[in-house]
Amino acid sequence: METLAFQGLVGLSVAMYLWLLAAGLTIVFGVLGVLNFAHGSLFMLGAYFAFTFYGLWGVNFWLAIALSLIGVGVVGYLMERLFLRHIYHLDHAFQLLLTFGFILIFDDAVKMIWGGVAKIPAMPGFFEGTLSAFGRPFPIYNLFIIGAGLLVAIVLWLLFEKTWWGKMVRASASDREMASAIGVNIPTIFTGVFVFGAMLGALGGALGTPVRVVAPGIGSAMIIQAFIITVIGGLGNLKGAFVGAVIVGVLSAYGILLFPVFELFLIFLIMAVVLMVKPQGLFGG
Amino acid sequence: MSERKKISRRAFLKAAAAVGIGGIASGLRGVAEAAPQKEKAPAKAKPKKKILGVDVIKIGGQGVTSGAHADYGWQMIAGSTLAIEEINAKGGILGSKLELKFMDEELKPAVAVKNTRYLATEWGAHFLFGVDSSGSSMAVGPVLPEIDRICMFTHASTHRLTEELVAAKGVKQIFRMSVPVYQESILSSLIFKDFPNIKRWAGIHCDYEYGYSTWALFKETLKKYRPDVEFVAIAWAPFWTMDFSSHIAAVMAANPDAIHATPWAGEGVMLLRQALMLGVFDKIQAWFQCMGGSVDILEGIANEVAAGKFKDKLWATARYIHNYPDTPQNKAFVANFRKRWNRLPNYSAENSYSAIYAFKAAVEKTRSLKTSDLIKALEGMEIMTPGGKRFFRPEDHQAVYNVPGGRVIKDPNYPIPIVGGDLKVIPAKDYYRHPPFTPIAMGK
Repeated sequence: METLAFQGLVGLSVAMYLWLLAAGLTIVFGVLGVLNFAHGSLFMLGAYFAFTFYGLWGVNFWLAIALSLIGVGVVGYLMERLFLRHIYHLDHAFQLLLTFGFILIFDDAVKMIWGGVAKIPAMPGFFEGTLSAFGRPFPIYNLFIIGAGLLVAIVLWLLFEKTWWGKMVRASASDREMASAIGVNIPTIFTGVFVFGAMLGALGGALGTPVRVVAPGIGSAMIIQAFIITVIGGLGNLKGAFVGAVIVGVLSAYGILLFPVFELFLIFLIMAVVLMVKPQGLFGG
Repeated sequence: MSERKKISRRAFLKAAAAVGIGGIASGLRGVAEAAPQKEKAPAKAKPKKKILGVDVIKIGGQGVTSGAHADYGWQMIAGSTLAIEEINAKGGILGSKLELKFMDEELKPAVAVKNTRYLATEWGAHFLFGVDSSGSSMAVGPVLPEIDRICMFTHASTHRLTEELVAAKGVKQIFRMSVPVYQESILSSLIFKDFPNIKRWAGIHCDYEYGYSTWALFKETLKKYRPDVEFVAIAWAPFWTMDFSSHIAAVMAANPDAIHATPWAGEGVMLLRQALMLGVFDKIQAWFQCMGGSVDILEGIANEVAAGKFKDKLWATARYIHNYPDTPQNKAFVANFRKRWNRLPNYSAENSYSAIYAFKAAVEKTRSLKTSDLIKALEGMEIMTPGGKRFFRPEDHQAVYNVPGGRVIKDPNYPIPIVGGDLKVIPAKDYYRHPPFTPIAMGK
């Protein structure tokens, strides 16, 4: 029993990275209607920016995270203003082509700037060590990640449910024309939402920097899982993204423990079952 | 030219990237020109008669140059480039200069096969070398007879490449400079059979050919010597595993005495550091990180080794380690490599360096570029390399040489940790499998 509880806790910490990534993806889809394939690349850029500020230039860890968010926010701003804006009215296929092109560009760009070799900077001292959980040592950093993921979930909920901006965003998502008619500046909202989504993805990448590997291609490796999560939870649904991420993270951890032979298959099985029972995803509709 | 005194590794990679799909042929020439204090090659006056009938001998390489494993491709480029520069500075091979083109195989068999065909037929490579992924090697091997080129594999390590494709199926164009999984599996079982207190083993292994064969051979050999040993847990990790916490927690739930692990390159570093975070080294007696003796992993865990966090329990080997053997040739290689690249060579670098010299020896012996002649020249060849004397077994075209295993320790002579504690030197004949080969039952 304690083994299962511990494994679940570890899985939960893994799930939080997935949540941060899936959150941005699903918000952008929900509001802008764009399936951003390059969202994983923004996750990767967040990791590279954090590595550069924190690992290379020795900037304070928290400041490095903040700066990497701002950096990726700027990249997201340029992506939206210069490119995505012009294809909203076109077929989804064009969005896929454009965002897929961004994956290739970003992967090659980081290779040219940072080189192909994987990087992992040292862990900030205040995160070292473990706490006891279910009789086994659990890293403080993983606990911090769980806390950060939950905090982001709460902040997002407050932002979208309780603020004026959130209301405008929800209005634009549910009926663009009506929102526009009552004076909501749709283009500005779209830019803001895209930048916000990009920064969420970057946060996931940046927070993993001291424990995970920073390398070209990590974005495309992660985006597949993020898509699975949003499909399970329901495309465009924030609650669905959170639940989907927890399902994927925790069940993978149990799969590795209990069914090591077909653990990879397990996630796809869940996705298939969800699609059969609820084609719109658990919270879609 | 003088302001480009030294070509840094980054500039080099940038150049490599700039030329596109990893082709550095033209970049390389630039590098060779820019290299300082290199006396103009004596053979600058073009040799009148061309013994081989070509101006340049083209060497096509491929390895991973992107993603978490990208350092292996870089090391192949660095090692082969060093050999080519040395050889070209002395006039090339029988008057023909060497030229390199290196491509990214992306650890994808289909990409590796495409690269192989492109290099041999479109670019016109006379020799092929490299290949990191075992899966890619098994796909490239069968293509070689058709394009009639030798490929010297310098990293891919499934035993099946030489045992099945060469010894059983007779694909003579395959040669392998690097030791296969015998190194991490059989050598490690011969080391750990002598630890009577380690009875419960767990594995964290790659969820592909490489991990399957290593774990199968390790279990099979260790069980022979130690019937009392149990294999209590196994976790499989595919390429692009971004977090090993769940894998580590899963095997630690079985209270193992020791862990045997194959994830390599950036993933290996991530695995070891996450294991430290989860307090694994307080519980176990030993951790064998199969290719942990590779430079990128040693660099990645240098701070932790220096701080004693692994508590002397981390063991590793590699397909060459820069501190062994203690010969003038190896010392010169390491010194020249460090001078050229400002970094230590890992096994892919040494294997690729030696591959170029093996090509040279074969061409000089046959005085031709005919593949069938070159195969005969390489079969049974003995060649001195930085990694020691190698012998290409005629039956399976596998280079036989030995690499020790040991504890990962800090050494004042090197900027990064080394595999140097309790160094176990076991003769190659004792830990290589020998023809005729019996198939190994493997799988998840």
